[in-house]
Amino acid sequence: MGLIQRIIESSGIPTISISINRPYTEKIKPPRSIYLDWPFGHPLGEPGHVAQQAAVLTKLFDALYTIDTPGMMIDVGWRWGRDTYPPASWLGLPANGEGA
Amino acid sequence: MQPRRIFHQALARLAGHWPALSDRLVASFNPREETTIPWCPVRKPLDQLKIALVTTSGVHHASQPPFDMLDSQGDPTLRVISGGTIEEDYTITHDYYDHRDADRDLNVVFPIARLKEMWAAGVIGALSERHFSFMGHIEGAHIQRLTKEFAPQVAAMAQQDRVDAVLLTPA
Repeated sequence: MGLIQRIIESSGIPTISISINRPYTEKIKPPRSIYLDWPFGHPLGEPGHVAQQAAVLTKLFDALYTIDTPGMMIDVGWRWGRDTYPPASWLGLPANGEGA
Repeated sequence: MQPRRIFHQALARLAGHWPALSDRLVASFNPREETTIPWCPVRKPLDQLKIALVTTSGVHHASQPPFDMLDSQGDPTLRVISGGTIEEDYTITHDYYDHRDADRDLNVVFPIARLKEMWAAGVIGALSERHFSFMGHIEGAHIQRLTKEFAPQVAAMAQQDRVDAVLLTPA
């Protein structure tokens, strides 16, 4: 995926990605990424966990602006299965809120 | 179903329960190390950005051809995804990860509903109608097809759509 990201960025569009495979991302060097030590198939988290998915997107957009060094990967540090996430004000959801 | 597909699907499910196997699968990808890093600064605030998604999770519309799961080097081709209809009309063709959770909730790999909520709340400026999907797991000669043919097509379409930033999600 990092190869695709590099090509889009080279074309003049800023990019940000989620990595769940750290060694691969460290070699491919996409311009910006956040790292989650989560299982394959779950880059946004668990099914139906709206607050978790929203928290990942919030981190992703934060990283789009805060990463100022090409190739930087931010390790978010969230454990798989943790049950609290920062509330997403734009959803009007409390922390831990689960939706449909 | 082909034995090759049954084997890969079983391996993917096992990896979900057995981190040591998952680590071995990760280690088996050994891409060439890049030396340069492309960079394009973000030029607008978030509430003015038009966003498009790119995923390598194998998501596509049911009417589109499935990704080729029998080619040992993967399938480098592209599926263009309609943001307006994908939530009601999607399937996943990908034997190299356990996508049962993504089958239940598309947003686990392709967070289109969350992005629509962000747009409705005014957090992001706009959401592109077109998004883009690959299957990932591309190897050998197909890497060249991906980087010379299909990934540049995504870049060109995103530029036509005046997309300001692209989010990429793996599987």
